[in-house]
Amino acid sequence: MALIEVKNAAFSYDGKRMVFQDIDFQVEQGEIFCVIGPNGCGKSTLIDCLLGLNQLKAGEILLGGRPLRQLKPRELAEEMAYVPQGHKTTFAFTVLDIVTMGRTYAARMFAPPGDEEKRIARSALEQVGLAGFEEREYTKLSGGELQLVLIARAIAQRSRLLVMDEPTAHLDFTHELNVMEIIASLTRDQGISIIMATHFLNQAYYLENVGVPTRVALIKDGSFVQVGPPSQVLSQENLEQSFNIITEIIESGTGERKYILPLRNKR
Amino acid sequence: MTEQHKEHNLIKAAVLVLLPIFFFLAAVCVGRYSVSAGDVCKSFWTAAFGTDLGVNDQVFSVVMNLRVPRALQGLLVGASLAVSGACFQSLFRNPLVSSGMLGVSNGAGFGAALSILLFNSMTMTAVFSFGFGTLAVVLAYLTGKVSGGTPTITLVLGGTIIQSIFSALLSLLKYIADPYSQLPAITFWLMGSLASTKSEELLFSAIPMVVGIIGMILFRWRLNVLSMGDREARTLGLNVGLNKGIVIGLATLATAGAVCVSGVIGWVGLVVPHMCRMVIGSDNKWLIPASISIGACFMVFVDTICRTITGAEIPLGIVTAIVGGPFFIYLLKKTKGKNW
Repeated sequence: MALIEVKNAAFSYDGKRMVFQDIDFQVEQGEIFCVIGPNGCGKSTLIDCLLGLNQLKAGEILLGGRPLRQLKPRELAEEMAYVPQGHKTTFAFTVLDIVTMGRTYAARMFAPPGDEEKRIARSALEQVGLAGFEEREYTKLSGGELQLVLIARAIAQRSRLLVMDEPTAHLDFTHELNVMEIIASLTRDQGISIIMATHFLNQAYYLENVGVPTRVALIKDGSFVQVGPPSQVLSQENLEQSFNIITEIIESGTGERKYILPLRNKR
Repeated sequence: MTEQHKEHNLIKAAVLVLLPIFFFLAAVCVGRYSVSAGDVCKSFWTAAFGTDLGVNDQVFSVVMNLRVPRALQGLLVGASLAVSGACFQSLFRNPLVSSGMLGVSNGAGFGAALSILLFNSMTMTAVFSFGFGTLAVVLAYLTGKVSGGTPTITLVLGGTIIQSIFSALLSLLKYIADPYSQLPAITFWLMGSLASTKSEELLFSAIPMVVGIIGMILFRWRLNVLSMGDREARTLGLNVGLNKGIVIGLATLATAGAVCVSGVIGWVGLVVPHMCRMVIGSDNKWLIPASISIGACFMVFVDTICRTITGAEIPLGIVTAIVGGPFFIYLLKKTKGKNW
C-alpha cells in the first residue's frame, strides 16, 4: 500500500482561481518524490495541503490508507515529519531543545520530554553530523547548520515520510551536497520516503545518479506535466515547456551521470 | 543525562523554591514594627496548631492579620504577572509583549474605575476589574479570530485595539469622575498597591491566580513548541488552536486575578521573564518556574520597600520600575545579553 496517495486534488485560495488541479500521485515506501517547478507554480501550496495545513477544494489525500482530514495533529506527526525552509526563532533555544521538539507527538499530556526522548534527539543529531552541538544556541548557527538541525528534528519524529520544502535554499555548495547526501542515505539506508519540493533541477538527477529510487513530478501552472524517473521527465522539451528555458543535458565520464545545463531564457 | 546535569538541575530547582520562601519570611519580619524571626515562627506555630508559645498578642496580630496576607498576595501577584508575561512572549513569539498584551490590564482598569464611580466598595472593585479584564481578553481573542484560526498577528492587533478602546473608556470615566474623591481613588488604583489586602479578597483572587500558575507550569513544554509558530507546532503534532486558547485562558485568569486586587502593575510582566531568560535560558521548562519564582520574590521585595521606606505607602507601580530598572541594566551588562 502506498504511504501517501493523492487523488484528483485541487486547491484554490479564493474559490475562483485554482492554484493547482487534477493532481494525482502516490509515494511508496523507500522512494524520493521530487516536486519540481518554477517559482509560483503551486509547489508550496501543494506541500501545505499534504501537511494538512490547507484543506483541498476537491479530491482527497490518504495517509497510510486513512483520509488526511480525519487524522488528529499527533497522528499526522507520527506518520509524517516536515522540514520547513528558512527558519528563525525569537528566543535562543539550544539545539537539543529544538530537536527534542520532534518528539512532541510522543510526549504525554503534561510531561516534558524525558531522557528517552532526549536520547532519540541526540542520535538524530549524530545522524546529520551535528554531534556535540547539543548545547549550542540555535539563533547563533549558520544557515547550513540550521537546516541540518531542522532535518534532525524531522528524523527525531521517526516517521516513515518526510516532507521537505526547498531543503537546500540559501545553502552553499558544501552544505547543499551535505544535505543531499543525508537525504539519499535516509531513503537508501532507512527506507524513509521523502517528498521534496525544489527548483534545483540537478538535485533530482543527483539522487538518480547515486542510485536512490527517485521520481519527479514536473509542475506547470498548477498541473503535473509528467511524472516519472528524472532522466525521462527532466528532458529538454519538458524543461522548455515548464520553465521556459533552453537547456542542454550533459553526461559525465562514462555516461551514467547526467546534469542539466541551463543555457538561456526562451524569448 | 549525566549525573552532573542532574545535580545541577536539582540545585536550580532548590534555589527556585527556597528563594520565595526566604523573601516571604523576610517580608513578614521587616516593617515599621520590626518582628524577630523567632516570633514569626512562633506565631506560625500558634496559628497552625493553636498552642500558645507566649507570643505577644500585638505581634501575633501584626504577623498573621497584616503581614502574612500581604506577603502571600505579593508572592501570588508577582508570580502571576511574570509567568503570564513569559507565556505571552513565547506564544506571540515577541519579546516585547507583556502580560497585558490582550488588554487584560486596560479592561481591569476600566472595570475598577466603573466600580469606584458606582459603588465605592473594595470588593466590588475587585469583582468588576476581574470581570472586565477577562472580558477585554475575550473581545481581543474574538477580534483576532479570522477564518477559523487565530494567527499571531491578528491576535496582537486585536489586543492593541481592545487596549485602546478600554483606555479611551477609562479616560471618559476619569473625565466624568468627581475630581476630589473619585478621581484620586481611580488614579491610585491604577498605580497599583497591595496596601488594602484583606483575607477575603486574597481568597477570591488567589483561586484564579493559583489555577493559572499551575496550568502554565503544566503547559510549559508545549509553549516551546507553540513558540515555533502555528505551522510548525501543527506539523509537530499539536492542536494549535486548542493549546493557544488554553494558554491564553490560563494567563488571563492569573493576570486578571492579580490585577483585580493589586491594581495595574506594569513592568513585572515584561521584564522579569527577560531577567530569567538571561540567567536560565529560553527553554520554558525552566523559564516558566523561574519566572514564577523570581516574579514572586521581586514583588514581595518591592512591596516591602513601598510600605517601609516612607511614612506613607508608595504605589507599587512607581517602585517596580525604579528598583527593577537598574537591576535589569546590571544583568544585561553582566550576561552580555546572552540567550536572545
